[in-house]
Amino acid sequence: MTEHWTERLSEYVDDELPTAEAAAVEAHLAVCDECSALVADLRGIVAVARNLADTPPTADLWSGIADGIGGVAPDAPVRPVVIGRAIRRPAASRRVSFTIGQLAAASIALVLLSGGAVWLAMHGTRTAPADAVVSGQPIGVRQVDVRSHGTYYDAAISELEAVLERDRNELDPATVAVIEENIRSIDRAILDARTALEQDPSNLFLNEHLENAKKRKIQLLKRAAGMRVQG
Amino acid sequence: MSILTEPKSVGVEPDRADASLAAEGDTTAFERLYRRHAARIHSLSRRMLGSEFADEVTQDVFVRVWQKIGLFRGDSAFGTWLHRLAVNVILARRADLARHRERFLDGDAPLALVSSRPAGSDARLDFEAALQLLPSGARQIFVLHDIEGYKHEEIAQMLDVSAGTSKSQLHRARMALRQHLG
Repeated sequence: MTEHWTERLSEYVDDELPTAEAAAVEAHLAVCDECSALVADLRGIVAVARNLADTPPTADLWSGIADGIGGVAPDAPVRPVVIGRAIRRPAASRRVSFTIGQLAAASIALVLLSGGAVWLAMHGTRTAPADAVVSGQPIGVRQVDVRSHGTYYDAAISELEAVLERDRNELDPATVAVIEENIRSIDRAILDARTALEQDPSNLFLNEHLENAKKRKIQLLKRAAGMRVQG
Repeated sequence: MSILTEPKSVGVEPDRADASLAAEGDTTAFERLYRRHAARIHSLSRRMLGSEFADEVTQDVFVRVWQKIGLFRGDSAFGTWLHRLAVNVILARRADLARHRERFLDGDAPLALVSSRPAGSDARLDFEAALQLLPSGARQIFVLHDIEGYKHEEIAQMLDVSAGTSKSQLHRARMALRQHLG
């Protein structure tokens, strides 16, 4: 069997080959012991994989989870769980100092973005969960107002970007270039997610993707805002 | 009586009942959910990201579940909803964790490090060990497709690759596993 067909045997095993090609493969398998053995092995691997048993963690992880959620109601921002995680510090570079007021504005923006805007997007009026389940009705989720996302987000980011623009000459040009490129990349991801959410506002994956993208941008701007010029 | 005694939920499966309670802040109910699903989530985390990160990622998953449990609408099984959320968390961690890896494996050579064992009671251990030695991209696609049952189109969206790449990487993973297990 040619290399071309060999590479497609997994598709044959998964019944994903077009009919004509599948027939050609079968005709070949009828006269080729080597390829027949390969197909049998691939089927065996798939069978083992599908029947793999799940094994619990060797340690009881509940205490760490309880610490992470302790004192916090569902759907509220939670403290990060830090277990043996290395603390990464940004490399020292030429930095610019910001006033206390500017950093305070950034902090307020972060609270709005990480708490308020997400809360508005994820929640709203909903029926009492227990009653909803017993009655057979789904737990209701208000339609996401994408414009609320944009209002809080755009205002806060604009303020932070204005601060950076005012002091960009005091930052290392290479650093500025990296920051701006990363921001552009994240903004593209945010735009794509928000566009998709307009069609499917309760999509969990899209909401997670949008939230993660916003967090990345916030972290990037925080890091940039903390840079100081070393004279 | 154990605090983890299953709730007396007449006509409502335990997961749904406990999810409703947890959405209202009941941590005991949430712990029951964790106990019932920890093995599956931990196994998924281990197979996707490696044993060294599985505990931490499992905890992250359940903390996120607590945060988002109000989004569980009950129109699918809780386990299905939980699993999808876990995949999202795991995929979001891939880039960060890749930087912590001591080795980035590529090609088939690393499979030679795993000793050959006769088929039988140790077959499962061999399979899991061999799985960990696959290149991360091929391994994750193999886990999502062959173990977790996702389609190539879904995997392509999750991993931001083409369906064709998903298929070729799956075949590569299967061939690499065959080399060791055969």
